[in-house]
Amino acid sequence: MRSYLGDLRTALIHVFAHAGYIALASALALAAFLFAVWFPNFALMGDVFSTPGVALTAKLQIALSLLGGIVTNFNLLSAGYTVAIAVLFGINAAMIAYLLKQRRAMAAGQNFAIGSGGMASGALGIGCAACGSLVVSTALSSFGAAGALALLPLQGEEFGILGAVLLLVSVSLMSKKIAAPISCEPSPARAKQHEPAIASRRDRC
Amino acid sequence: MKPETQNKLTIAIVIAAAIVAAAALFISMRMSYPPDEARVVQIIEQRLAKEVSSGSTDGLNEAQVIQLIEERLPVAKSGPAGKGVNEARVIKLIEERLAAGTGTLSEKEFSMRVERGIVAFIEKQRRAEQERPNQLARNVPPVGKSDHIYGSPNAPVTLIEYSDFECPFCKRFHGTVKNLVDESRGQVKWVYRHFPIEQLHPVKARKEAVASECAGELGGNDAFWKFADRFFELTPSNNQTDIDTVLPQIAREIGLDKKLFASCLVSGRHDKRIDEDIRDAQTSGANGTPWSVIVSKGGKTYALSGAQPQAAIKQLTELALQEK
Repeated sequence: MRSYLGDLRTALIHVFAHAGYIALASALALAAFLFAVWFPNFALMGDVFSTPGVALTAKLQIALSLLGGIVTNFNLLSAGYTVAIAVLFGINAAMIAYLLKQRRAMAAGQNFAIGSGGMASGALGIGCAACGSLVVSTALSSFGAAGALALLPLQGEEFGILGAVLLLVSVSLMSKKIAAPISCEPSPARAKQHEPAIASRRDRC
Repeated sequence: MKPETQNKLTIAIVIAAAIVAAAALFISMRMSYPPDEARVVQIIEQRLAKEVSSGSTDGLNEAQVIQLIEERLPVAKSGPAGKGVNEARVIKLIEERLAAGTGTLSEKEFSMRVERGIVAFIEKQRRAEQERPNQLARNVPPVGKSDHIYGSPNAPVTLIEYSDFECPFCKRFHGTVKNLVDESRGQVKWVYRHFPIEQLHPVKARKEAVASECAGELGGNDAFWKFADRFFELTPSNNQTDIDTVLPQIAREIGLDKKLFASCLVSGRHDKRIDEDIRDAQTSGANGTPWSVIVSKGGKTYALSGAQPQAAIKQLTELALQEK
């Protein structure tokens, strides 16, 4: 646990030493947060912004005031994982970009898959779980999804929690890669046998 | 287990979970949209090719096309309002296309006409799907005599709320809308309609809706609102309410006849009204509660999903006030 935290700290220092990655993470975290909070009322916003004869400031005020929905339209748990998913999504993306720039594409690709799964799962958990206005119930309303959700102990919020956990795992795995020095190491078996540390396919680079 | 093997196993499990989540999202998205243009055109083309290979050179006739659509797009027949391809509209479109021609069409001409018609239809469906919630909100029935109104009945702006007595967000939203109407100085009225989500709150949500109607029947509009206010004060929500205690308690507190209230509860005479409200909520685009439709004097609608903050609702009602 301590080594994971150590790796995370080192990785965050490495990545966020560059202003560009801070900007990228912040922008994506904000976008994910806005998406989650505005999601139930995208159509309303489209309607408001397409209404002629209304000042742009009034339209923007409506959009901004809907952000208060994070307090009124979410419970503590759903608000917590919504914010966590947004923040972890931003960090995840910045780390993937960092790994790609370091030409460690394989590690980036693997974690991109985990992170995408986290986002997909998190997206399913968006909304007012208690009242069934989730993405999943919207999408599967024809198939009695509300009934299926009622069978889950947290009535669908499990998806959001799973999303946050997957993103956390992804960030943690990437931290390990970023914190590790860019060098070739012999495999543990070879090291045990005191064999010369010659990089081969079986060795870890 | 070696640490490396453990790591690989963890990664494999996480990737598997991610794939399952992504697949669930993909499936849910696929299910929610009508068949796409390419798919419908492909079906028509396959059928036309079959007709040609079987020696029929006159092309498909109207009845065959209708049969084709009935066979291949069952979702159109069974899907709820506003979802999937609407069979009647497809058939009408094709009928119009056929009527525009004269005599028997050649296979090529017919194929082109059907294809153009289908493309136009799907484009129309796609646009409708994009603006669906607000378009559907226009289906909300106008305020009637049986509605429960809070605020001035002559207010130019109406907020019609579809609510579930067991929904914790409806409980929160109830106070928000009440404040808004109180502060609106007669500009906004609030109409309460029922949308008990029985899958999430079985038995209780509906029974509470019936109880509120009984309060309205026995004590008028004021009694309905007293019942609703007091109920939301007492309920812990999420189907946790002890209805055998709470409902008679509220009836007593607001001065209703105990026996008449009890007999009304079991009479079933308000079931139809509640079913109608549920149907109206769904046809106006509701997927959850609270679901509100703000209606301007001129009939312009703004559909609002969830327990949004008072500031947002106030902005929307002001926008509706500007509508003539």
